[in-house]
Amino acid sequence: MIRSTVVAALLVWGLALAQEDASTPAPPTPPPAAAPAAAPKLSPQEILAKMEALNNGFADQKMEIRITVFEVDGSKKSYDMTMFQKGDKKRLIQFTSGEMKGMSTLVEDRNTVHVYLPGFKKVRRVAAHNMNQSLAGSDLSSEDMAQVSWAADWNLSLEKEDDTSYWLLLTPKSADSAYSKVQHRVDKKTFAQQETHYFNKAGEEVKRFVNTNFTDFHGVMRNKKITVSDPRTGHRTEMDILDFVVNQGLKDDLFTVRSLQWGK
Amino acid sequence: MLRRVLFALCALFVLLPSAARAEGWLDMISLSGLLETDVRFNVEDYRGPVEGEGYNFAINRNDAILHAEIRPHDSLVAVFDGRLRFYGFNTADDLPGLSRDRNQVDPFSVQVDQAYVATRGLPWSWLDLKAGRMVQTWGSADVFNQVDLLNPHDFYDPMDYVRKVPNQMFEVDVYPADWLTLTAVWIPVFKPALLPPSAPLGFAVETDANGCLSSFPAPPLSVEDNQALADLFASVDPCSLNFATPQVNLYMPKYTFADSQVGARAKFSFETIDFALTYYYGRFPYPIAYNAAAVANPSTTQPGKVNVDYVAEVMYPRMQVAGLDFSYTAPWLFDVGIVGELAVIFPEQVTFGLRAYQGDAKIYEATSVNVPSTPFIKATFGMDYTFTKWLYVNAMYLRGFFDEFNDAYGVHNYVVATAELKFRSDSLKLRLAGILNVDDLSNVANPQLTWVITPGLEALVGAFIFGGKTTPSNTYDYAAREKFGQKAAGRSFAYLKVRFTF
Repeated sequence: MIRSTVVAALLVWGLALAQEDASTPAPPTPPPAAAPAAAPKLSPQEILAKMEALNNGFADQKMEIRITVFEVDGSKKSYDMTMFQKGDKKRLIQFTSGEMKGMSTLVEDRNTVHVYLPGFKKVRRVAAHNMNQSLAGSDLSSEDMAQVSWAADWNLSLEKEDDTSYWLLLTPKSADSAYSKVQHRVDKKTFAQQETHYFNKAGEEVKRFVNTNFTDFHGVMRNKKITVSDPRTGHRTEMDILDFVVNQGLKDDLFTVRSLQWGK
Repeated sequence: MLRRVLFALCALFVLLPSAARAEGWLDMISLSGLLETDVRFNVEDYRGPVEGEGYNFAINRNDAILHAEIRPHDSLVAVFDGRLRFYGFNTADDLPGLSRDRNQVDPFSVQVDQAYVATRGLPWSWLDLKAGRMVQTWGSADVFNQVDLLNPHDFYDPMDYVRKVPNQMFEVDVYPADWLTLTAVWIPVFKPALLPPSAPLGFAVETDANGCLSSFPAPPLSVEDNQALADLFASVDPCSLNFATPQVNLYMPKYTFADSQVGARAKFSFETIDFALTYYYGRFPYPIAYNAAAVANPSTTQPGKVNVDYVAEVMYPRMQVAGLDFSYTAPWLFDVGIVGELAVIFPEQVTFGLRAYQGDAKIYEATSVNVPSTPFIKATFGMDYTFTKWLYVNAMYLRGFFDEFNDAYGVHNYVVATAELKFRSDSLKLRLAGILNVDDLSNVANPQLTWVITPGLEALVGAFIFGGKTTPSNTYDYAAREKFGQKAAGRSFAYLKVRFTF
């Protein structure tokens, strides 16, 4: 159960991957007359930096999320949760439905995760190994979710580009990674992260994120649906963002162990 | 009285939301809870009070649990945890009982686990206060917390081993820095642990098929003294002895300031490690034998028979406990989670005395130090690891079980292991848990299969199986009884639970 909670906490990162800001300036319209001057070509590092800025570019965020896990046989189950995030580090996840209701998880960084367990009435530090567990049987795991900054731990190159997208290729700097490479498809106009593909060391695609339903949430654009799937089995998880607000003035104190256990 | 409480609870359910809506308080109130039905079946017939009785229903219970949090503003919360429990077994034993009171046919109880108010950051930002009825858990390990002494366990149901006896207390939390939390707790009145219904069997004599005395539980005396005690009965025809059910009286602390309890904790957090230093002054919450008397008198109704009454007294000795606990993720060891707890206990000495009388004549007397005043250690050390997406393992070593206090039984060593396997997107969970007493090899196993039918609705089927000998290897040695083998530990059962979380 603790492991499930941790992965849920890390969902934040996955959701952040789908983020796109309406305030992002639209690319300039080319002048109709003479041939336009060529836009300065962006380096892979610049593309990635713009993408990550979109993902974590708010003072704080609050999301109401529904996760639906689809079995290969078509059966499904859903859980609701609320996620609070401050900057690109602190986040708090509160489970609001199902058998995990009442459980809260505070993620400070990959090595500092605390969970409040209502059944035990205590806060417990979660060991890093627990980050490898899925949430309630979903397709999300810690290594997918804990990627706050790809730039820090991955080598980067531009694999290809087409009319609408950049395809970034990332390979891990550490041999400990479960993945041999990761591909991001980044929208050329908005720098939103559209797809992410994970490959194991045998070169097989093992996980896929697809972000869709670009929606206006109180003036901020965000992909409403993130579908995470295992291309090998067809097992998939859909994350629906039910509500999303930013810059609500969340206090730092909310993201503390003190807050996690107070008044429970 | 019980009905009135129940009515009040129902009124709370019904009126609170409407009142809240009327006053615009709805956003301040958070309600959650649980409905659970629990049916258990004894799967043996030799561990109960009567040999041959078993293979019957042990529990047929229904619980409704409500958790309410009322937050008028960010710095104030009132918390209520209530439980309405229906026991499921008829207690009426005569015809009038069927018409007198429905509670006898359908008994129930109302329990309040928490009812407290807490402030945060008032009057200073670094200060939190709590007052009222609450349940606290200190320590880093799972369940087996040696430094967790504020609330004793509620072992009425041994399977619900995380449940505790709530108590009224006052708590002050100070946050002088991000990495440091200081806590002080005052508990005015001592409350003892609840024991399983099987606990009195620890004092019961054993009889053979003819109802004749075959053995009696050794009191906490030396083997030689217990041998001498047995010799008194050896000269008597065991079939002539009528042993009454032992009477065990509690010698409770007085309700004085000096008998209140205090706890203090300094909790530190650095990088990948949390650790805490703790102190507790109070009483050991499990009963320790300190006085007993056996009185034999000729039966006035059965010529040739001798009635034997056994009266014992148990107490809750004072203790001071200095503790340390930590939890740590070891990056140098595959990110394994490591937890540890160490409690150094400074106990009040308890001297046990036993006297035997034949009529008014004292025929036997012995005393022994049951609990020496020398400090002793209880400890927990554990590791856990997630091997795969579907396999999690947790293993712990324990020095000292909950109820061990370095009395004549000693402090034993245990290994606790749990493996959790998940299938079908975590909708099926198989948990295999067990405890082994390393010293006497008695054990308890708890396999359990959980089916998440739909989020919030679970069905659990499992078993709680005790292993070990019901009789001690040496009937004269108090320490020779097997921890989980003895009848006092409880009965083996299978169970089915259905639980809905809202």
